[in-house]
Amino acid sequence: MLTVVLFFLFFSLFLYVLLAGADFGAGIIELFSSRKNQEVTKKTVYRVMGPIWEANHIWIIILIVILWIAFPAYYNIFVVYLHIPITLMLLGITMRGVAFIFRHYDAIKGKSQGWYNHLFKLGSFFSPLFLGMIFGGLVGGSINLFEENSSLGFKELYLDSWLNPFSILIGLFYVALCAFIAANFLIGEASENEEQHTYKKKASYATIVLVLLGFVILLYGYFNEIAFVADFIENKLSVIAIIISALVLIPLWIMIKKREKRWSRILAAVQVFLIVAAAMLAHFPDVIITSTKEISILSEVASTSVIDSLGIALIIGGLVILPGLFHLMRSFQLIKLFK
Amino acid sequence: MENLEAARLQMALTLIFHIVFACIGMVMPFFMVISHFKWLKTRKKIYLELTKAWQRGVAIFFVTGAVSGTALSFELGLLWPEFMKHAGPIIGMPFSLEGAAFFVEAIALGFYLYGWKKLPEKFHWFTGVIIGISGVASGILVVAANGWMNSPSGFDYENGVFSNIRPMQAMLNEAWFTQALHMTLAAFVATGFAVAGIHAFQIYKGKRKELHKKAFNIAISIAAVAAILQPISGDLSAKDIAERQPAKLAALEAHYETEKGAPLYIGGIVDEENQEVNYKIEIPDALSFLAFGDFDAEVKGLNDFPKDEQPPVAIVHYAFQLMVALGTLLALAGILYFLSLKWRNWQNSKKYWLLFVILAPLGFVALEAGWIVTEVGRQPWIIYNIMKTKDAVTPMPGIFYSLIMYVSIYLLLTFVVSWLMWRQIRVLNQTQD
Ligand code: HDD
Ligand code: HEM
Ligand code: HEM
Repeated sequence: MLTVVLFFLFFSLFLYVLLAGADFGAGIIELFSSRKNQEVTKKTVYRVMGPIWEANHIWIIILIVILWIAFPAYYNIFVVYLHIPITLMLLGITMRGVAFIFRHYDAIKGKSQGWYNHLFKLGSFFSPLFLGMIFGGLVGGSINLFEENSSLGFKELYLDSWLNPFSILIGLFYVALCAFIAANFLIGEASENEEQHTYKKKASYATIVLVLLGFVILLYGYFNEIAFVADFIENKLSVIAIIISALVLIPLWIMIKKREKRWSRILAAVQVFLIVAAAMLAHFPDVIITSTKEISILSEVASTSVIDSLGIALIIGGLVILPGLFHLMRSFQLIKLFK
Repeated sequence: MENLEAARLQMALTLIFHIVFACIGMVMPFFMVISHFKWLKTRKKIYLELTKAWQRGVAIFFVTGAVSGTALSFELGLLWPEFMKHAGPIIGMPFSLEGAAFFVEAIALGFYLYGWKKLPEKFHWFTGVIIGISGVASGILVVAANGWMNSPSGFDYENGVFSNIRPMQAMLNEAWFTQALHMTLAAFVATGFAVAGIHAFQIYKGKRKELHKKAFNIAISIAAVAAILQPISGDLSAKDIAERQPAKLAALEAHYETEKGAPLYIGGIVDEENQEVNYKIEIPDALSFLAFGDFDAEVKGLNDFPKDEQPPVAIVHYAFQLMVALGTLLALAGILYFLSLKWRNWQNSKKYWLLFVILAPLGFVALEAGWIVTEVGRQPWIIYNIMKTKDAVTPMPGIFYSLIMYVSIYLLLTFVVSWLMWRQIRVLNQTQD
């Protein structure tokens, strides 16, 4: 059953990174668009993402619930040492969430729209930034445990863990990834040639930034002896995954040129999957790296009875939810696999 | 301010905020589908208009509920890491099922909000019903988790170690049923009276009477039934805590001395220092009867508990009195509504509508008071008789700043959401009959 639980953990992580990523990314694209394009993007996003908008964001709740039920010791480190970026991320999610709904459901479309737009765009940028920084904090080797050194102050314990160049780079990487996902997603939805052209341009910018940041992270990590990067480079599987993901860029561009909406989306999702998988494979199961040691997520797992019942709940939940979600996406033509 | 205090305040504040949105998210979908049903049946345009207006409300409240809930699900760990480390696996069952319920709700919401004219009519309506049902289910599930904090079960506990965890038994703890029943009714009472009050206000001002009367009737008829049942369910809850959490009972009744044939205090000012309640009305033997169904039963007083295991008395006592007083008032209002169906001319009086305007916020006041009874009455325990709240709090200092942040954001959101509702109504009123 532990395998089932781990499967759902990664499954929800991947879907959150992908689907919420597309949503964050749409806001990031708005942030970097001219005023006219902003309006278009806003409308397209609402039409395409609206129906699944709520559902996208529940993956993170599933993720966090699985973590605290099944891996309490791991969860404990996560919430104690990364308290601040988690709070900031929540702030971002709150702001953009309400702004998204307010701008569409405000009965009077007036001046207040400008405020909602600003909040939405800023929230869309900062939420994934902090999310990436949280991940960077977990694996960056900067967490100082107070059990190990009781003389540490606030800064060493609660700021150094995440407020460092490596985490910030990872945060920016995720921001770029979000923009990449959203741009690829939107190309298929754009109605006119001109719009398609803008999204293509955005997609190529995002790709360039993404690849560059990837290199910078590897170089920075390599020269600063960050354990995660060392593990990453030494791990055959993650290197292979990253190479494939770079190669996938080629068919992705061909599909975009050919306007194969379905394939370009699938390939973009594959990209994201490979990146998440590479990051996870690099050092699984040691998914927390502190300044002195690597902590395995499997070191203190909840008891078998807990894991078993969680596994069963997840399987049953999955059987109810996934077909429903799929049907929802298909009804609103988000997936055109069966047409 | 100390870290522990700040953490408690932040928890209280975020829950007080979330619960309002959660209750509305639970109950509004039912009102919406009733109106939608009437539209499908009668094809009167006015019901369609009402359904759509309520739908906007549902969307706005739903998202505010969802983001504040997402924050809460992190906050449990951020503020109380020691608690979650041990309790997380044990009460995981209701939370993972709750996750499933949220998903169902979100999917149904997607279908409903975007399905107008795209989905078959009946199916579209039915997705609205699912929103309501899964909302209530998620409410019941979180309350089951809260019930576990009041009545921990489903594990063995020795020397600070939790072992032999039985998740199903933990979820179906002794408190879950009475709490879930009382909470679900409370959601219907609070939301129902609030919605009815808003529409009563429009009728009072003489705006679009036909529309607002239809809305009023849908909301109040459900709220009235729930309000009449609420005292019965509250009595069950009281009997329950008399068995399970005698210290809480003593605090909410402000009883310091153990007595046989204990009197019930109504009103009164608690003097915590001298352990007295002044200016109260006493009803002899009534408390023994209410708590145990026997006029002679012994009711434990607070002095039977060690000093450091006594909950704060005054606030719990006042909150309890407030809840019961409002509960009685709302039940009477419910009866009044049903009587007004027989004596129709009451509804021609402006005073009738003014009454319901005044009652509008009181359900929510009772609901928050009830939660204060439950949560503060459990103190100093976070898990009753197992773990103290002060042992669960995060080691990170400076929660005060996080508290300030939450206070400002939630105040802002409260303001904006109220303003948005006001704008909805204004636009609704501008449309002509
Ligand atoms: C509209 C709201 C509302 C109304 C009118 C009432 N209650 Fe209540 N009460 C709640 C809303 C509520 C609540 C907020 O929903 C609580 C908090 C926890 C819970 O399960 O329900 C609660 C808790 C609660 C508890 C504590 C349960 C526990 O800690 O486990 C008791 C003893 C009562 N109630 C009793 C009553 C009585 C005797 C009422 C008589 C009229 C009453 N309530 C009306
Ligand atoms: C008595 C207490 C509570 C009740 C009755 C309740 C009920 C609900 C309901 C009905 C919703 C659906 C949202 C809506 O329709 O507006 C909701 C949302 C949510 N609640 Fe609560 N809740 C309570 C406390 C909590 C607590 C303590 C947590 C933290 C673990 C929590 C976590 C959430 C989350 C994560 C959501 C968002 C789900 C979504 O995205 O739709 N709730 N709550
Ligand atoms: C929405 C209704 C609720 C309200 C208004 C509420 C209110 C409060 C208040 C006032 C406190 C502070 C008590 C004190 O320290 O003196 C508190 C604490 C707490 N509540 Fe609730 N509560 C609600 C529901 C829940 C639910 C459903 C859960 C869990 C599933 C929960 C979990 C906690 C925890 C973990 C604490 C902190 C520890 C403690 O002080 O005991 N609450 N809540």
